[in-house]
Amino acid sequence: MWTDEQRQRIVLEHQVLQQEGFTQFTVYHDKASDTYYASGWAVSAAGYRYALHISIPSGFPYERPPMYITDPLPLLMRDGNKLSALGVSHYMHTLAPSPNGMVQICHWRDNRWHSGILLYKVFLKGLLWIEAYEQHVATGRNLSEFVGTMAETA
Amino acid sequence: MSTNDPQQQMIRDAMQAIAQRKPGKTKLVYNKTKRTIEAVAEGTQIPRALNITADDADMFAVVTLASAWLREQWPHVLREGGVLCAFSTWDDGDALTQRELGSLPSTTIVQGSILLAGRDFASEGIGFRVLLNPIAKVGTDPAEFVAPDGSAYRATAFRILDESEMPISTVFADVQPELATRRSGILETTILADKSVLFIGLGTGGAHAALELAKCGVGRFALVDRDRLSVGNVVRHPGGISQVGRYKVNVVRDLIHEKNPDAKVSTHPFDLSYANKEELKHLVTEADLVICGTDNRASKLLVNQLCIEANVPAVYGGAFRRAYGGRVLRVRPKTSPCYQCIVSAMPEEESNVEVSSASDAADIAYSDQPVAVEPGLSLDVLPIANMVAKLALSELLIGKPTTLRVLDRDYDAPWYLWLNRPETGTPYADWPPLSESTDEMTINRWYGIYFDRDSDCPTCGDFISSLAANYGLDLNDLDALPAALPSAPEAVPTKD
Repeated sequence: MWTDEQRQRIVLEHQVLQQEGFTQFTVYHDKASDTYYASGWAVSAAGYRYALHISIPSGFPYERPPMYITDPLPLLMRDGNKLSALGVSHYMHTLAPSPNGMVQICHWRDNRWHSGILLYKVFLKGLLWIEAYEQHVATGRNLSEFVGTMAETA
Repeated sequence: MSTNDPQQQMIRDAMQAIAQRKPGKTKLVYNKTKRTIEAVAEGTQIPRALNITADDADMFAVVTLASAWLREQWPHVLREGGVLCAFSTWDDGDALTQRELGSLPSTTIVQGSILLAGRDFASEGIGFRVLLNPIAKVGTDPAEFVAPDGSAYRATAFRILDESEMPISTVFADVQPELATRRSGILETTILADKSVLFIGLGTGGAHAALELAKCGVGRFALVDRDRLSVGNVVRHPGGISQVGRYKVNVVRDLIHEKNPDAKVSTHPFDLSYANKEELKHLVTEADLVICGTDNRASKLLVNQLCIEANVPAVYGGAFRRAYGGRVLRVRPKTSPCYQCIVSAMPEEESNVEVSSASDAADIAYSDQPVAVEPGLSLDVLPIANMVAKLALSELLIGKPTTLRVLDRDYDAPWYLWLNRPETGTPYADWPPLSESTDEMTINRWYGIYFDRDSDCPTCGDFISSLAANYGLDLNDLDALPAALPSAPEAVPTKD
């Protein structure tokens, strides 16, 4: 399933995460299913904890890896409704949620993703999204008012 | 009226002579006194008569027969004395074209018969018949046919009306030799007959490029596109309104066969995604060249990856939003910049795509922020498709002795840019018109632009080594990844 180049890239991604100071995140190998994922706990400036999970697809790095917030679940908006109910939302920077309602963060869209983007940049966008989310909870304003259009370059 | 009536026979002879633009013993005139057409001997002067010319004779119907088909049927013709065949009728019966000649017949089909003179062949109820009369020597008459056994015939066709017969001009079409003759002198068609081109994306640009290469004599096509032709497509796509609802791959296949009947075309109406990667990979490895006309980056990157891996050259074409211009990239794996190199170098330029359909818009829209469908005009897309086809032709001729070798010099840049108007809000808004400048970049010129390949490109370069070196890591001494956590969320999909 995985090429040697893909496996090498994924191992390198873990090392880069550590060197770039994203030591709260780890790339894991599930040997039973021979799949990879990256996850860890992000702590916001306000001290709240969020579990971020990146599923590494079989086409990685050419295929965009989706990133979900797995905890808290469900993730609520200021009005108490589930954020996942919005689906693909420009105003909240979300993509299609997982079947059980985990919010998928819009880091790069498919039409912007390319294989030169490293996972630590994806986690960085996740951290920015969380800060914007907390601003939304505090003010009721959309996430898009706190994070602009995602930067193109990796 | 009997067909043996002398006047009828004269009319028949005169009509055939005129239709074949050959002098005959009789001529046709319109007798203004009698207000009828009549046949008279050449040289005869009739008062108040109008000579009927060859141009006037174009009103007579023409029946076109497929030589190759008749050669295949020849044993049957010899055995039975004739053969039945179907004809497309066009323009109120002005033209009858044997159905086997092409893949897009008329909606009106009539049955006819082709029979050997002097032989009995049952053809009751048939609308017209073609009589094959043996001749001793073959000339240049388009009504002549040479059978597989070397015997030669001249065909005369008659439409059967009640008890009379109306002559129809006959033309035998030997499709492939005639098409090859038209291409010879500029293209060595045998070179391209064995070439295989994989087309991914058969919108306006891809379909047009496919037809241009079919006209050049490319012999093998593989077509990939998930979409069906819609009414909205028709204003730009080569497919017409009568084709609406069909898969674009099937529409384009038939159009290719209309231009190159011997072309071998396989169709693959599937979605271009990682789910179909293996099937796509197989198609790429079978191709001499890949032409990618999709409008989204993800699919282009997938095609790019597969082409680099399989060492197959590719040409990528695309229009900017509303087709105010476009660009074309030719990739020679490991030699010239690949699509990923260009994306890394010019990410914004490569994000500027034409949104020509609802599905294109849906790919980049959010549920709370739709993206408008803003297709460009066909006339603004076709120059880009022409450039794609020209670069493809140049690529397919590499290493072959051809008079078009000069293209190597003219098309040596990897990336081409063209603007057809100074679109407001773009970096090209201030470009001068073509007529005002010879030194600056202007509207309405193609520019070949040179890029160096990114040696650290994740797709065509050594990204891994470069990344490891940047972080001081030894690729041979990397720690193994930790095993998966027991608490890893199982509900998270591995793919979105």
